[in-house]
Amino acid sequence: MKSGRLLLLIMIITVLVTGVVAAQDETVLVIGHAESTDSLDPARGYTQTKDIIDHVTYENLVTFPQADASEILPMLATDWTISEDGLTYTFNLRGDAVFSDGSPVTADDVAFSVNRLKYVQGSPSFLAADIASVTADDADTVSFTLTQINPAFLANLANTAFGVVNADVVRENGGSDAEDAATADTAEAYLNGTSAGSGPYLLESWEPQVETVLVRNPNFYGDAPYFDRIIITNIPEAATQKVALESGEIDLALDLTSDQIAPLEGNPAISIYRGPGNIVHFLLMNEDPDIGGPVSDPLVQRAIRLALDYEGYQALWGGVQPGSITFVGNAYAFTPEQGVKRNLDEARALLAQAGYADGFDITLEYPIFTFQGVNMETNAQKIQADLAEVGINVTLSPAELQVALENYRTGAEGFGYWFWGPDILDAIDMLAFLPGGKVADERALWTPDRADAALNDLVARARVATDPAEREEVFTALQASMQENSPFAPFIQPDVQTAFRSDIEGYVWHPQWLLDVALLSRSM
Amino acid sequence: MTFFRYIARRVLFTIPILLGITLVSFLIANAVPADPINVNLPQSQLNNPEIVAAFRAEWGLDKTPVEQYLTYLGNLAQGNLGRSIKTRQPVAEDIARFLPATIELATNATALGIILGVGLGVASAVWRNQWIDFAARTLAVIGVSVPVFVLALIFLSVFHAQLGIAAGPGRLDFTMDEPAMLTGLFTIDSLAAGRLDIFANAVAHLVLPSLVLALYVAGLISRVTRSSMLEVLGMDYMRTARAKGVRESLVVMRHGLSNALIPILTVIGLSYGNLLAGAVLTESIFAWPGIGRYMFRASTSQDFPAIMGVSLLIALIYVVVNLVVDLLYYFVDPRIRAN
Repeated sequence: MKSGRLLLLIMIITVLVTGVVAAQDETVLVIGHAESTDSLDPARGYTQTKDIIDHVTYENLVTFPQADASEILPMLATDWTISEDGLTYTFNLRGDAVFSDGSPVTADDVAFSVNRLKYVQGSPSFLAADIASVTADDADTVSFTLTQINPAFLANLANTAFGVVNADVVRENGGSDAEDAATADTAEAYLNGTSAGSGPYLLESWEPQVETVLVRNPNFYGDAPYFDRIIITNIPEAATQKVALESGEIDLALDLTSDQIAPLEGNPAISIYRGPGNIVHFLLMNEDPDIGGPVSDPLVQRAIRLALDYEGYQALWGGVQPGSITFVGNAYAFTPEQGVKRNLDEARALLAQAGYADGFDITLEYPIFTFQGVNMETNAQKIQADLAEVGINVTLSPAELQVALENYRTGAEGFGYWFWGPDILDAIDMLAFLPGGKVADERALWTPDRADAALNDLVARARVATDPAEREEVFTALQASMQENSPFAPFIQPDVQTAFRSDIEGYVWHPQWLLDVALLSRSM
Repeated sequence: MTFFRYIARRVLFTIPILLGITLVSFLIANAVPADPINVNLPQSQLNNPEIVAAFRAEWGLDKTPVEQYLTYLGNLAQGNLGRSIKTRQPVAEDIARFLPATIELATNATALGIILGVGLGVASAVWRNQWIDFAARTLAVIGVSVPVFVLALIFLSVFHAQLGIAAGPGRLDFTMDEPAMLTGLFTIDSLAAGRLDIFANAVAHLVLPSLVLALYVAGLISRVTRSSMLEVLGMDYMRTARAKGVRESLVVMRHGLSNALIPILTVIGLSYGNLLAGAVLTESIFAWPGIGRYMFRASTSQDFPAIMGVSLLIALIYVVVNLVVDLLYYFVDPRIRAN
């Protein structure tokens, strides 16, 4: 009996070992991720998990560069034109793209996908709300008519919600692009089980809350990605992701916090990616003299921008100095080199000119909060030290997040420290910080009637300009103007961090889809 | 015949219990001062009254609470637990998908806990106030008092990541395919499919989470076993048995343990029910796709149908486990049989 058990044990071990060896024939990448999605249907899911998966299983008309949102690049469309009135966009398709079943990607598929997105009333459908109509002019030409000018329209089209689905296949499986698609479309279950797109990968299976498996799309018309199979396994606890990464069970841990990444430093089996994210930390100075006091004075505002030790914040958090209020990597955004340079003499001169030669006392309000590893308290102390050098005596006034938010949102804050993550990956996002925008109007009380006419004109142009040359001119002028005169002082765009096994190559963080698994490979 | 009448009576009693549970969980879920709309719709849709109205109608949130409850009971009578707001799947299907993982873990952990707990408890009673007693009692205190998430993380990083002698998170290696679905218990399904490699892998992955939960269970069981055994060991009939020359091992196990079993069974039943109701923290840390994690997600997203379904399931589990324990009393204790 005992020898029988031993035999069984040996058998088990043998099978186990051979099983492992056999599995190594194909290239497999295992990603640990706290899964967050309720749908992988391009028209219904609106989560980070869905973006990671749909980004490689579907393709869009246009896309962003690999690492940022600095420009709009062709994808399924080779080129496009925008009508004079900015309301009609016409795209020419590349013609050689095929879906995973081998059938060509046509203008009909695009029209079907967009109408379906618009009418299923899924979470991302609002992105298509300003599309009045979309029509296939011929097999390779599709045109959109908008209800109103939207300069961020192309950026919206790069969202995975606009991933082009194989219309025939989706129709066969219950899909509908009719106005009653909210009830008539029943293709979600199908699209949660497999993908119907033209991306480099194919969704093999999704077991919600357990794992998602992607395999190479055999009919992909572009360069084949490195990995045969990608397994995204749901590990809700970041601490468990860390353990699984250390043991080599997963190749990439997507949800580690920076204090979990720090101890991995020096582990030769693990590499850490660091690159600027898309969060900008800034100071807010209220334009209302009754609320802002001395910092409502434009000269003082400029002096404060000149007094900040930009390099010091990078020493703390990595990252870059934002060139302006919008993140480096956004379209038309100023580069770090174009940012404000520290100049204490000029700052002191400006303060003297404003009547504060001996400085002044001010209270800085901010939340007790750590975001993506950046502790706001640490920054607040550094701001205090920086401004002391030009004679501004800052008293720190931290508050619980909800309390501080209330003051910030109602515009009751005189001098505050906050951060901003873009709502839209387009230059238009910075309009929130200009007169007429949310942050400017409601929080800094920098309303159009407090701004000069020239600036208001520029803002008005920025809202409707669709021509790239004109957009560049307008947004450059706006950013330059904000360096001279505005109630905001952006000072750091910290790094984001991701940890993975050292043999994984090609990792890049992206502000839209977080991670492009098709770019990854394993070194020999 | 009295035995079957006893069972029938107990089963009948469960109906009002389950009804009560539906009412209580419905009231609690509705008493939460938050609108499920806010958790389940993105901001952009919240601004659109049409979408909000459609969502309310779809999930019956536009009806009065009394109507909602009666509709739920009506569906329940037909075996329909409703559809989860979060996963958009029938709740019954979700439960069928997540429960087997929990059953597999809870059963293993309880079995391990019984072996450890009863063994330690008996040993500490027999060798009272000797080193083995102190060791067992210390272990029991550690088992019950160290939070499971701490134990789980320590075990994972020591035995898995550093020493490499135990399998890591998940029910299987992440690169391994699941066995064809039969019972949902991977150990059984893999054997049924003749896949010894999957079986071995599933067993390996069960070790750490089972051990973490078993330490807690063993802590409870060993304390109860010890005190119950001490009581029995002092009884006159024990002395009589020894005087008759019965072997010591037989005295302890047959005359001692079997008479001390009733409170031990009660604790085992309660802790098994507890583990089946989902060990949220252990399941999260070990990436174990069980009912505990499902329930946690449902409650944080105010997924009413899922919350109600899981509450009902948990109540049912407790009722069944208690019934089984009561039946075991019947077999263990002749006095209950006599009554």
